[in-house]
Amino acid sequence: MIKWWKILAAVMILYTLVWGLLNPVPRLDILNETIRNVYYHVPIWFAMLFQMGYSVVFAIKQLAKNDMRSDLISNQAAQVGLFLSIPGLLTGCMWAKFTWGTWWTFEDPKLNGVAIAVLIYLAYFILRSSIIDELKRARIAAVYNIFAFVMMFVFIMILPRLTDSLHPGNGGNPAFGKYDLDSNMRTVFYPAVIGWVLLSLWILDIKKRLATLHYQKHEE
Amino acid sequence: MKNKFFILFAILFLSVIGKAQAITGEPKMADTFRSEGKIYVVIAVLSIIFVCLIAYLIYLDIKLRRLEKKD
Amino acid sequence: MQNGRLSHLIKKEFLLEFRQKSTFAGILVYIVATVFVSALSFKKIIHPMVWNALFWVIFMFIAVNVSSKSFMQETKGKGLFNYLYYNPRQFILGKIIYNMLLMATLSLLTFFFYSWFVGSMVQDMGMFLTTLLFSSTAFSGVLSLMSAIASKANNNMSLMAILSFPVLMPLLLVSIKLSKHAIDGLAWSVSYKYLLILIMLNFVVIALATILFNYLWRE
Repeated sequence: MIKWWKILAAVMILYTLVWGLLNPVPRLDILNETIRNVYYHVPIWFAMLFQMGYSVVFAIKQLAKNDMRSDLISNQAAQVGLFLSIPGLLTGCMWAKFTWGTWWTFEDPKLNGVAIAVLIYLAYFILRSSIIDELKRARIAAVYNIFAFVMMFVFIMILPRLTDSLHPGNGGNPAFGKYDLDSNMRTVFYPAVIGWVLLSLWILDIKKRLATLHYQKHEE
Repeated sequence: MKNKFFILFAILFLSVIGKAQAITGEPKMADTFRSEGKIYVVIAVLSIIFVCLIAYLIYLDIKLRRLEKKD
Repeated sequence: MQNGRLSHLIKKEFLLEFRQKSTFAGILVYIVATVFVSALSFKKIIHPMVWNALFWVIFMFIAVNVSSKSFMQETKGKGLFNYLYYNPRQFILGKIIYNMLLMATLSLLTFFFYSWFVGSMVQDMGMFLTTLLFSSTAFSGVLSLMSAIASKANNNMSLMAILSFPVLMPLLLVSIKLSKHAIDGLAWSVSYKYLLILIMLNFVVIALATILFNYLWRE
């Protein structure tokens, strides 16, 4: 089903690809042209957080209604979110290599937080695979999902702001807003965020339908 | 064919990304790059890759629609 | 009435522990054995960072091992009785409070044996003990919830470890940072930030555990 928002997703990201490389950006030391990575690296993480949020909403729904559909959606959304963390991490590493001088560092709390969030969600999938009874699996996985989301939120968004960090906007560094994000960059950044979130929803939609077909086939 | 594009893309990409500027100069940007029109190659490459991915997604979408219609 | 039941629960846990003296003795053996082994292999620890890291690794190992036992002990019959008799919130609070006391005692014991065998490098004892206290409560919160989840999922011990480790890591990081400050004898003002983080983590974890346990209860 080709819906309007899917086309919108594709168009928006294409727009950010083209115009993001062409439009004028603030000229800054160290960052130089790589500030354009804001159009790609950050929206991917936004999309991942969105997917995890989607997953937790359906986990709560599953606990309230005790049905399998919410569990299926919650599961698939968590998968999409976890998948999105890979390009997020890769783009972050590339960016770090050129601006901070190293692919990875254990000093930055946001990097640590992200690594731990990935591990937490991996543990979620291990938990799912260890329970056989369907309904039981749905409930217990939903409980852990809620826990995982809150902890992820704490480790990625809250802790880095409280301690020293290399990332802009956290722990002593001015946020990107100070880097003149108001003017030209916003015209590309906001569509990029919307585009990537919609793209992740498209991928989720496909996975949902595929999983539903699988499920119906198993039922027979 | 694909390899040529990839190598070209890699070289262009790597040379655009920030190098430490001289002590007195202002931040070096990719102006010469742009003025010579090479930036359009980068854009073209990235757009092609992205359009291919979107095409794959659309293909999956249509295939799923057919499967769902069967029931 | 409800408070009476809560303290009754905690007392019951204590009684269980003391009746099965073997478990407590087992825990003691764990602590002494690990500390002894590390003392043997390290001979003399000169660098405070090594001391610090080793202490926390030993504590984490012991904490994970010990807390897995408290939920694994519930048999089917006991489970039904618990369900009928107790309010789930009381039950999990009882377990968490008991675990907190247990962890705090464990941390002190570990520290005691550690400094006996390997020597103590701590300069600011007050800060160190505060760190131990808050870390052990946070550990107990996380481990209680995780062992509750794992016990519903076929009582697999390794599953509990897998579930707990990612969440314990930031806790460990903050605790290590704080105890490093204590070892170096830095002023308390330097550590306020981390103490606040630790206390906040405590709140988050224990709140989550109490709220979520309701849903695990019905299995």
